[in-house]
Amino acid sequence: MRDATALAESLERHLGDPNDPDHRFSFARSAELDRSELFPGDACRLLTDWGMQHQYVPAWLGGELTDFQAPVRLIRAVARRDLTVAIAHGKTFLGGVCAWLVEPTSRVKALARDVLAGHPVSWALTERDHGSDLLATEVRAAPVPGGYHITGEKWLINNATRGRYVTVLTRTHPDGGSRGFDVLLVDKEELSSSAYECLPAVRLHGIRGADISGITFHAAHVDDDCLLGEPGKGLETVLHSLQLTRTLCAGLSLGAGDHALALAMRFAAERTLYGRRLLDLPQARRTLLDAYADHLLSEALVLVGTRAIHDRTEEMSVISAVVKYLVPWRTDATLDALGQLLGARSQLVADFADGQFQKLHRDHRIVAIFDGNSLVNLHALVNQFPILARKARAQLEAPATPEAAERLAPDPAAAPFDPTRLSLVAQHGSSLLGSLPTSVRALADLAAHQPSLAPVAGLAHRVLERTHAVVAEMTGHRPSRHQVAAETFLVAEEFALCCAAAAALELWIAHQPGTTGTPSDPLWQDAHWLHATLRRVLEALAVSCPPSPQVDEALFDALTRQTGEGWSTSLLPQRTAEGISR
Amino acid sequence: MIVGATATTPARGPTPGQDGSQLEHRFGDPFDDANPVGFRSLLEADEQHSSLPAAEDVLDAWGCNEEFVPSGLGGRWRQTDTLVRRLRPVFRRDAALGLGYGVTTLMAAVNVWTAGSSDQQHRMARELAQGHKVAVAFHELDHGNDFLRNTTMARRTDRWRLDGGKQVINNIDRARSLLVFARTGTGNASRDHSLFWVHKDEAATAGLRMLPRYETAGMRGCLLGGAEFSDWAVPDNSLVGAEGSGAHTALRAFQVTRAALPGLALGQLDTALHVVTRFAGTRRLYGHTVGDLPHARTTIAAAFADLLAMDCLWTAAARLLHLAPGRAGVASAAVKYLVPRVLQDALYDLSQILGARFYLREGAYAVFGKICRDIPLVALGHAGGAACLLSIIPHLPVLARRGWQPIEAPAALFDSRHTLPDLKFEALAIPAGTADPLAAALAVALEQPRQGRARKELLDAFAHSFAALREQCTALPPVERGPLAGAETFRLAERYAVLLAVSTCLGVARGVTAGALQDPEVVHAVLLRLAARLGHGTGVLPAKTAERVYSHVTQRAEEGLSMCLDAEPIFR
Repeated sequence: MRDATALAESLERHLGDPNDPDHRFSFARSAELDRSELFPGDACRLLTDWGMQHQYVPAWLGGELTDFQAPVRLIRAVARRDLTVAIAHGKTFLGGVCAWLVEPTSRVKALARDVLAGHPVSWALTERDHGSDLLATEVRAAPVPGGYHITGEKWLINNATRGRYVTVLTRTHPDGGSRGFDVLLVDKEELSSSAYECLPAVRLHGIRGADISGITFHAAHVDDDCLLGEPGKGLETVLHSLQLTRTLCAGLSLGAGDHALALAMRFAAERTLYGRRLLDLPQARRTLLDAYADHLLSEALVLVGTRAIHDRTEEMSVISAVVKYLVPWRTDATLDALGQLLGARSQLVADFADGQFQKLHRDHRIVAIFDGNSLVNLHALVNQFPILARKARAQLEAPATPEAAERLAPDPAAAPFDPTRLSLVAQHGSSLLGSLPTSVRALADLAAHQPSLAPVAGLAHRVLERTHAVVAEMTGHRPSRHQVAAETFLVAEEFALCCAAAAALELWIAHQPGTTGTPSDPLWQDAHWLHATLRRVLEALAVSCPPSPQVDEALFDALTRQTGEGWSTSLLPQRTAEGISR
Repeated sequence: MIVGATATTPARGPTPGQDGSQLEHRFGDPFDDANPVGFRSLLEADEQHSSLPAAEDVLDAWGCNEEFVPSGLGGRWRQTDTLVRRLRPVFRRDAALGLGYGVTTLMAAVNVWTAGSSDQQHRMARELAQGHKVAVAFHELDHGNDFLRNTTMARRTDRWRLDGGKQVINNIDRARSLLVFARTGTGNASRDHSLFWVHKDEAATAGLRMLPRYETAGMRGCLLGGAEFSDWAVPDNSLVGAEGSGAHTALRAFQVTRAALPGLALGQLDTALHVVTRFAGTRRLYGHTVGDLPHARTTIAAAFADLLAMDCLWTAAARLLHLAPGRAGVASAAVKYLVPRVLQDALYDLSQILGARFYLREGAYAVFGKICRDIPLVALGHAGGAACLLSIIPHLPVLARRGWQPIEAPAALFDSRHTLPDLKFEALAIPAGTADPLAAALAVALEQPRQGRARKELLDAFAHSFAALREQCTALPPVERGPLAGAETFRLAERYAVLLAVSTCLGVARGVTAGALQDPEVVHAVLLRLAARLGHGTGVLPAKTAERVYSHVTQRAEEGLSMCLDAEPIFR
């Protein structure tokens, strides 16, 4: 296994400097395709040539996926160039997941081989009238001798037209219910031409070149062995799959954040307003630093959340919802703020940086919508409130022991992912949230010897206090299937923020790289990034925090160097193509 | 001094034709696919990056430009608030049509009404009546809102000669004339620029080069262009006002349009609410309609409350222009900052209800996405949020010390049944004094006895916030009063804008005899939403309040009434 950073740098090198309009996958080319709403086929081929799809297939099926950090980092690297391409190519990951989580039949193995060979796979869940309501799925798979006949329409499906394979959620029992659905693997090449038709691509707000279309089946025959998993377990398979894909989708947001920060920093450095560089006007700098802090908070959550696929597999129903809710939503807000900083240039389609900003701003809005929108994810948290609250009370009251602190520093090699550990409900609560007392205590102990850590230890303590209050509110919640009060969603938002803070703390404690000689050093020194991200969490929880000029300076230093010298805007040092080609 | 406060006469209500009913009727039901000026056609024009000729014809036939001409010059502009309400049907359908057809002409004209000679004013009135457009050629991409550093030069030789360039200018190609902001001095002070109203057909043919069109992500129907001037000779009589008075004139005149444009933009949220309410009533999820889900109802109710709050704010600011033309500048900047901000937030929240439908540029809800693309240009155009806050900040210390004493506002400020005196353009002034009528009215309102536990809690919070703001503004050091102001100072200006909104909502609600603000639950919702922007509470409406407010929304949606304060019949 190659480590995720090395992989991302290798991909960056392969793709080349996106500012060079002669590259096949340049900003200029992406802008042009977006304006004409054309599919980015060249860029997708470039990714396939490099072998990105090998990270979409688990090692046990012949792929190279052993650590989910790798696909997240790769998707992020593509997304920072063009979200349309990341979504168009990464879709195969989503399409395949259902097959990787079930018994590896010969069909599944064949699918894996074809994915590795570069065939796109589409994932057909949603229908015109039902959106996220999967239990209302109408597409029917009627059992016939030797297989099934699929009938009905799937709509707003990424790559429905271009994908060779489609994994389709179907109703196999007329009454539906939790055991009434199955996922069938459809190879369009095996269907007769009258058995299906692809619907025209839909015109969209963003990702305008993507193939978001649909497919209608007319009693399309598939063989028995196209059934993925045991009969009647399709819905469960889909919900398990979503726990992985929702977490990985956050890579798209991180890439959008990288891209927007780079554009905003470039503009702010070049722009003169009121006789100063925009960068030097305090209000503009605050906007940039808040955006950067939010971006780093998202990254910390994604790093810990992705790792959780391996070491907190049972909790992914919670973690995936936290990640999928928080990261796209906060990134949307960040992009809005940076758009205001850019002013008129945030709206120009061709006259500033090829219109990159307005494109990424529109493109990114899809991330909070697909694969379960914000409300669906908050709902997933609310549904688990009773158990989460009960476990959290015990976790938060347990004494922080040195042994517990040890556990915060996980084995650097990812534990192998075991799909059988996925669960629809986090039966043991959220150990991520539960790690807070231990982390806060560990940080306080460190601060006792290193006074420069005292302020951040203070913030961590306030996070813990606030978490107690949030858990108390969760405890008071009375479950009700669909009549969830608006205030309850707010509690779920606060819970998600507390989890993000817990992730940041855990990451900082477990992973202190020491001096690397890279622009990310000032972030780690004196826990500056942790301070900045906890401050943002507390502000979102309506707790005001004192300003910290040293933290601001450290973040500004890191951000300036990362965007100026060709490094990813990241906690982890990683060169971008711009830096590699220097 | 508030002028004309005693001269006003209470009338029974808006006289016929003062609202938007005329234009609503001419445009008809936008949801009807067969309507040639309905959403289907407007969206198709947007896809083609063009304006819709049939829609422009409606405005031509209605004599839209005459709305921009003061009644003293023979036009239909009497009250700025009614001007906006009469034009709002356009923004309900297509903000790009409103901006592309007329609003920039209005922006150019207000400068001439403010500082032009009598000849220029009469000529402007004549040409607008003939249907001509005027481009407002201020913006230079290199300087943006920092327009005192614009570099386009005007030199006086035998005639005036212009050098430089203007970018992202609406209608610059098709307008017969341009209002050009150009430098006649060498410094960056407010007296180094002048205004020129130039008719292209009367200026030299040499020296003017048009730039290619700018494409934007939103407002795609607007014809945004640019021009380069190289020694472009323009007639001697082009100068508007005295040489060197350009910045002064513009800052005075734009107070009018900075209050008006956000008032027009409320039409976009009005439509968005109608669209989302239709969706919520028909879309089924999990065995219910979306409208059955408490979260959706609460979100819609909150957006409606936000719309009402902003309607109170801009209306009062616009009326203040008439009642105290020398005292309205800060309020108008607050409107231009806060209204687009609130609109954008509300649209984001509403988009969550639409889910994937928000993202589609086709189908029954496509207009919602267009509104989301158009709105950012409303926020950015005509001074962005930061520039507006920056124009408020320098005044806060003096106003806090001397302008925030309780002084009763004239009844006409908040009560739209009172007819206003004509707008005295020449009396518009750059804020300098100590009077702050909207804040003073808030001080009065907060002195009243507080009744009802929930209302008292909110009013206490406002009083606390106002007192804290006063203290912080009074102590604001000189370095914080300009572009180097820190983020905390910008927050003061933001809170100030929200408190002005509180003032106007309390003021309007106090005298209201009809409409949603008669309902105490609606007032509670409006205040609760504003309180959250001041850091008090979460802004989530309690179930009882939300239900009550939501019932107003569904009733208006069913009856085809605007979601704005006036609840006028629309979309028929």
